[in-house]
Amino acid sequence: MIENQNTKSDFALFEDELPFEKDGTFKSECRPDKKVKLEDLFKFSRTRGDLQVSIVAAAIAVFFLIFFWSQTGWEKRVLPDGLGSYFAHQLGFIELDGRVSRLGRILKQSWVAPLLCLLVLVPAALMNLWASFKEHKWRKRFLLPTSAYFEMTKYAAALEFVFYFVSYTLLVPYLGYLLSTVLLGLFLPWRLGYRSRTWMIRSLCSSLAIVIIFRSFLQIKTPVSIWLYDQLPSAFRGFMLTYF
Amino acid sequence: MTFPVIIAILIGSVGGVIIGAVPGIGPAIAIAILLPATVFLDDLISLVLLLGVYGSSMYGGAIPAILINTPGTPVNALTTYDGYAMTRRGEASRALSLAYSSSFLGGVFSILAALIALFVFGPYLRDLGALFGQRDIMTAAILGAVLLIAAHRQTMGIAAMLFGFGFLIAMIGRQSTRGIDRFTFDIEYLYSGFNLIVVIVGIFALSQALNLMVGKDDDPPQARITGGLFTGFRELFGKKTVALCSATYGTVMGIIPGVGEFVAQFFSYSTARALSKEPTRFGHGSAEGLIASETSNNAVPAAAMIPLLALGVPGEALTAMMMVVFFDAGIKPGPDVFENNPDFLFSLFMALLIINVLVLATLLVSSKYIAKMIYIPNRFLGAFIMILSFVGVYSIRNSLTDCIFAIIFGYIGYVLRRLDWPLVPIVLGLVLGSIILEKLTAGAGQIKSAIDLINRPVSGTLFVVILFVIGFIILTSVRNRRRDYQN
Repeated sequence: MIENQNTKSDFALFEDELPFEKDGTFKSECRPDKKVKLEDLFKFSRTRGDLQVSIVAAAIAVFFLIFFWSQTGWEKRVLPDGLGSYFAHQLGFIELDGRVSRLGRILKQSWVAPLLCLLVLVPAALMNLWASFKEHKWRKRFLLPTSAYFEMTKYAAALEFVFYFVSYTLLVPYLGYLLSTVLLGLFLPWRLGYRSRTWMIRSLCSSLAIVIIFRSFLQIKTPVSIWLYDQLPSAFRGFMLTYF
Repeated sequence: MTFPVIIAILIGSVGGVIIGAVPGIGPAIAIAILLPATVFLDDLISLVLLLGVYGSSMYGGAIPAILINTPGTPVNALTTYDGYAMTRRGEASRALSLAYSSSFLGGVFSILAALIALFVFGPYLRDLGALFGQRDIMTAAILGAVLLIAAHRQTMGIAAMLFGFGFLIAMIGRQSTRGIDRFTFDIEYLYSGFNLIVVIVGIFALSQALNLMVGKDDDPPQARITGGLFTGFRELFGKKTVALCSATYGTVMGIIPGVGEFVAQFFSYSTARALSKEPTRFGHGSAEGLIASETSNNAVPAAAMIPLLALGVPGEALTAMMMVVFFDAGIKPGPDVFENNPDFLFSLFMALLIINVLVLATLLVSSKYIAKMIYIPNRFLGAFIMILSFVGVYSIRNSLTDCIFAIIFGYIGYVLRRLDWPLVPIVLGLVLGSIILEKLTAGAGQIKSAIDLINRPVSGTLFVVILFVIGFIILTSVRNRRRDYQN
């Protein structure tokens, strides 16, 4: 420990106080709230919003279960009426001519894989919903906060950036990749609060670098702005069309 | 080895370190963004480029973990435990040096283990292809799925559900053999199904971009590294038992699909603590703790390649992405690779070895500069991850609809990230689901009854392992529930 104190210059982050006891006994200076524990690697706790998302997930799973019959080819086979007979034929225990079917023939049916998938998905989604509901009830019982309002505002906040991305995607065919990327590359950092001249220059350089790497260097075919390039001198126009 | 290949290895390795060092990016996002771009590069160049990112990012992830208590990649979380405590004690250079040397040992150990296995078992492995039929690979994929779900200890239900969603996504589209549409709802775009890369970019890159932009910028303390970075090698040699033990754990856990770095770290850290003369120091800046976590996590990437190459079954998201790279390069991972492309296997592990050496050399001379990357603001990064993701998705098949679906997946991923739900099961559900679907259809002709699914030596053995894992999960759950009830 004494040796460590002598190597104070090794790292100048906490010059004010080095974390050693004067008598040389060891002491950790990690703030308790900043400390990663071994068990944290596997730790999971359901947060607010978990119940709402679990409900949506279960609803999606049930939605696909409902449409299983019409969206997987299950209904395409013309089979005898009668519940037992219908399922026996559909599941392939009996062929239409009365023979016992091979399992392989059944496995080739288009609905088998969706059925296997739904056998995992639907119970897991319902079990998750149940677990989430139990946690919610537990939180309520111990008067812990259960409102998902904060989470919902965060989900809504992300929609703003989704909107920018969709707008960018729709603008690219009209403005071309170069112009759209530079515009978004300047707008997004500006919107996020990086508005100084230094950050604007960094944003511009980063946007141009992306275009140069992907469009000019890797030759990825992205939409170009023909009307804009038509305004340029012919020699320059050709260069821009090829590389930007 | 040509000049462009050397440059690609160099860019991949150094780029991987930088990507790992920037909290908020990580290898999965970087590979997701670069994945589509590799279509336009030469096969070998794209392969080594992404291999460089894959093999080197964890080295970089240790830098912010040690300096500012923020893991660069999720697997460096345990490094903060002892690394940051050492920094607070004024031993940042020692901690970085130990992390680099331990990572190097872990990486080289697992690569050498894989190479030795290739030499020793090579002749037998060539016959492996004959042992593996369609049903065997399907059973291996099911085992991969079961292990993946089992590995998510506290979130098994959520992992199973998300795996199911991934599987469902794999199913959407027109079935090639019978021409029947599955869950397309007469939407034209869905007839061809979802492209794997669109889902990967959405789930990993765009979700993280949204997460970063909605969040706040961190304000990490200014860190300065002074002093030499070579001392760790000598210290590591003095603690070789812990190092070798951790490297072995990393290699073994890497080989088991779905297990990965976290479990490897858990076992190696616990073992190191049990072996240590000063167990109370663990978590307070113990050199042995740092060695255990860094050695084991860096031993995993090379080892995780083994089940991918041997069975064609990826164990986690990064290997799933590497599988796409292999497909693009014309290599079909699976038992046949030992017979058809033995040179490829040797070259792959040699490339990983070179990447490890290059990364170590880079870190030893440029840590001070790489450490500056920590200070790029998160929200600014998020904006450019979003812009990069667009070109990544668009380049796959020049489809703007792909971009719209990518952002939808991105939004889903963002919500899941906020809830701390795991994202990997979705991607592995998609990949393993595709394998299961393909093999189920292809092998159906040989199946007369249910017993035919498991009556081959390999599929039978794997089936027993699946039953064992499921039994273990049930037993553990019952035991935990009983313990919780008693408490």
